[in-house]
Amino acid sequence: MAELSGCRAFTAPKPGEDWAALAARVLPGTPEGEAVEKLQSWNLHLFARHPRGQFLGSDVVFTAPPAA
Amino acid sequence: MDWIIRSGRIVDGSGLPAFEGDVALKDGKVVRLGGRIEAEGAQVFDATGCIVAPGFIDPHTHFDVQLLWDGQARPALEHGVTTIVPGNCSLSLAPLKAGDRQRVVGMFQQIEEMPDAAFDGAFEWRWESFDGYLAALKESLSINVAPLVGHSVIRLWVMGAAATERAATAEELAAMQDLLAQCLEAGAVGLSTSFVDVDENLMPVPSRYAHLEELDALAAVLGRYGRMLQVVPEFYATDITLARVDQLAELSLRYGIPTTFSPLFDSAATPDNVPRVMARVAEQMARGAQVWPQVQTRPIDISFTFEVASLLFAGLPKWYRTMRMGTEEKIAALSDPEWVAQLLAEAEPGGNGVRWAGVQVRGGVSDASLVGQTLGALAEVQGTSPAQVMIDLSLQHNLEASFIAASLGHNDSDRVGALLADGNVHVGASDAGAHIQSFATYGDTGYLLGHFVRDRGALSLEAAIKKITADTARIWGLPGRGQLAPGFAGDVAIFDAAEIDRCAEEACFDMPEEGMRYVRASKGMVGVFVNGALSWSKASGYADAPVGQIATQLPGAASA
Repeated sequence: MAELSGCRAFTAPKPGEDWAALAARVLPGTPEGEAVEKLQSWNLHLFARHPRGQFLGSDVVFTAPPAA
Repeated sequence: MDWIIRSGRIVDGSGLPAFEGDVALKDGKVVRLGGRIEAEGAQVFDATGCIVAPGFIDPHTHFDVQLLWDGQARPALEHGVTTIVPGNCSLSLAPLKAGDRQRVVGMFQQIEEMPDAAFDGAFEWRWESFDGYLAALKESLSINVAPLVGHSVIRLWVMGAAATERAATAEELAAMQDLLAQCLEAGAVGLSTSFVDVDENLMPVPSRYAHLEELDALAAVLGRYGRMLQVVPEFYATDITLARVDQLAELSLRYGIPTTFSPLFDSAATPDNVPRVMARVAEQMARGAQVWPQVQTRPIDISFTFEVASLLFAGLPKWYRTMRMGTEEKIAALSDPEWVAQLLAEAEPGGNGVRWAGVQVRGGVSDASLVGQTLGALAEVQGTSPAQVMIDLSLQHNLEASFIAASLGHNDSDRVGALLADGNVHVGASDAGAHIQSFATYGDTGYLLGHFVRDRGALSLEAAIKKITADTARIWGLPGRGQLAPGFAGDVAIFDAAEIDRCAEEACFDMPEEGMRYVRASKGMVGVFVNGALSWSKASGYADAPVGQIATQLPGAASA
């Protein structure tokens, strides 16, 4: 199977996860507040719609910043 | 023989070079083609000088409602479209419990801009199940239908109000799987879902509350039947679309299913969007995944009045809120200088009128000389802003003044032509039957064959026909359709290659209760057969031929 090139990292929320739980899963070892802040800054698209700032089950949540 | 289509130039859908000859139809199917065919008693359709092609297949429509009072899906049929896929974007009219009907009607009205008249008294709700809906359709079906079942309605059926509150439980997930399987058994061509749409209260539709685990479980059911997963991605954001491509690819590889996402637009504002998405699609296709981006042929034009809330204003919260008001409240708001000042500030950053200057007056005004003029030109004469001109004209004409924002995007023919020719692009995304008071969603195939094939040479006639016939049938798993070959359905489009096109967009009052919609008539099409019956001709118009079938089944296997 052909290899994929690199792409901006993302995850899908798990049932029952909130920002803190998601941050603990994808950024282990990073203090909770800092991890959540990072994630939210990488996912501003979630703040431009209803419900503002929350993620839904089907959302893409980026776990890395956009390419420069 | 029932029919002989005489002396045409046959483009059989395979992509191979055209050849001269006759096509013979019998019992709803093609029985012979090529050379001279003689058969006593057969009717003859003279195709001299014309192209004879398989009927076109439109994979992205919202004819779900219209089919209940118009089994011909006018005017799709006269454009040569003989098979349509309704049920896109997570919305279908079944399976649907009686108590949930109004919720789904609200979603259709918000997302697809369907007017009240399309639902109120235009048909009788007599079904809840998917096969019940298909039975209602078949009573007067004159076009073939390969219906998707909507993820949002499946969620509603199983979870009720909780469909827009939380993740599904294991029991609910199993119930959704069973329900999807029932729909597929009844004839559904696959499942549609949406990651972007909102309901009439501007809240996310049920499918958006589903976690990836739920989509995975439903994809597993699709895998048992080899059926399609259609999604609406966040097409306005490249990084998210790329993530969706990867998600779809994983589901495709895991369960061996085709997937498609629509739309994919070219835009001068984000010129790297299409190249990046197509590069990722190519990588995933090379891995064996089936992730088909649907690309429409026509540029984006949006017409609107202040009477209804056009999606054109969805990105302008103050405007959209105003447009969603009742008439009296709206007129009062538009007459309030303070309110209008806020609208102008939102619409025209910098006060230079860039956003609205190119919008044209379309009609509904007492002074006919205004029609065709841009708001920018009128604003310059009046010493005001384009948005203020638009508000003034609307108030002066009881909100009935109409405007058109033309060529908003997807209008660079060099770039779009190259995209349409890409082997990984699925030509579709017409949205036919939706947004009916904003733009005409008909004639995309005529635009492909006229503008991109004949006028610009972006792709050959054979390649273009293949994309909207055999390729579509293969991608969607429609047996016995999409080609002219013995044993295939007698779905045929006959047209003049020198004339084929779409006519100008015009307002038409043929909806229930004389409701208005925008349509485009066909140009250059001379005859259309559906399952061996002449269903439309340039000479005689529409025929009363209720021969449409459910296209997921073999042609002729189930008569309408």
